[in-house]
Amino acid sequence: MKENCKKNFERISEYLDGELGPEACQQIEQHLMECPECQDCFEALKKSIALCRKSTREEIPQNMRERLRIKLRDCFEHQETSGT
Amino acid sequence: MTAITTDMTDHDLIAQFKEGSMEAMETIVDRYENRIFNFGLKMCGQFQDAEDITQDTFLNAFRYLDSFREETKLKNWLFKIAATACIRKRRKKKCEPDHELSLDSFMNKDGIQETYDIPDWSDDPSDKVIQAEMNAVINDSIKTLPHKYKLVFNLRDIEGFSTKETADILGISIVSVKTRLHRARLALREKISHSYQEGKSA
Repeated sequence: MKENCKKNFERISEYLDGELGPEACQQIEQHLMECPECQDCFEALKKSIALCRKSTREEIPQNMRERLRIKLRDCFEHQETSGT
Repeated sequence: MTAITTDMTDHDLIAQFKEGSMEAMETIVDRYENRIFNFGLKMCGQFQDAEDITQDTFLNAFRYLDSFREETKLKNWLFKIAATACIRKRRKKKCEPDHELSLDSFMNKDGIQETYDIPDWSDDPSDKVIQAEMNAVINDSIKTLPHKYKLVFNLRDIEGFSTKETADILGISIVSVKTRLHRARLALREKISHSYQEGKSA
């Protein structure tokens, strides 16, 4: 990997997250325009992050919700509370 | 005791719980149980483990509520407890130690970068089968990440915490969060791309 590509590759996540200063951003943008391989690498990374963020979130199943509430009530319902 | 309403802040609910309100406790659980459960599931991959982590998190949160500092967000504090529960569960299972993901392993030394075939997510509701397949690929890929990288990835990219919040939740430096996140993302890009290509050629 070329030195310039390597430098870009190391900071690409910070660039995506908007955590780099304007000068560093400009350097990366310039490099991406000039280097199709790094541009492809960048697009693939961006797409895979987007896929993970869109992946389905599981909801807690009803029986587990109920068990959780029973357990919490068992533990805390009759406990002495502050000020009582 | 004031009646519980949906627009009450977490801090109001905590105060009510401290006065003995079980309703306030359950409203807090209603607000966060799905997020904690989903985090446990993404970390451990098993429903049973995710249930244990959810129970441990809320039991410890209400037990040690006195140590909760008012200037912290309740959500962040719950995730701190949940992350600790995940680490404890992993220790109990006597899993293999984490292997490091080296940045060099993602770099091609001959100057030619590997091309990655990553699909776009389909928002078309008629593509339910494709979405289910993609979900399975993504979840399997996340599951194979070494534990410490998975913790950072799930907090940052799935749960949406900032770099600073993730560092606070895990008690590690901001630099470590950035390093682990970048490597986790590179590893996932490879895994997702390979699984997708295998699926296409099957």
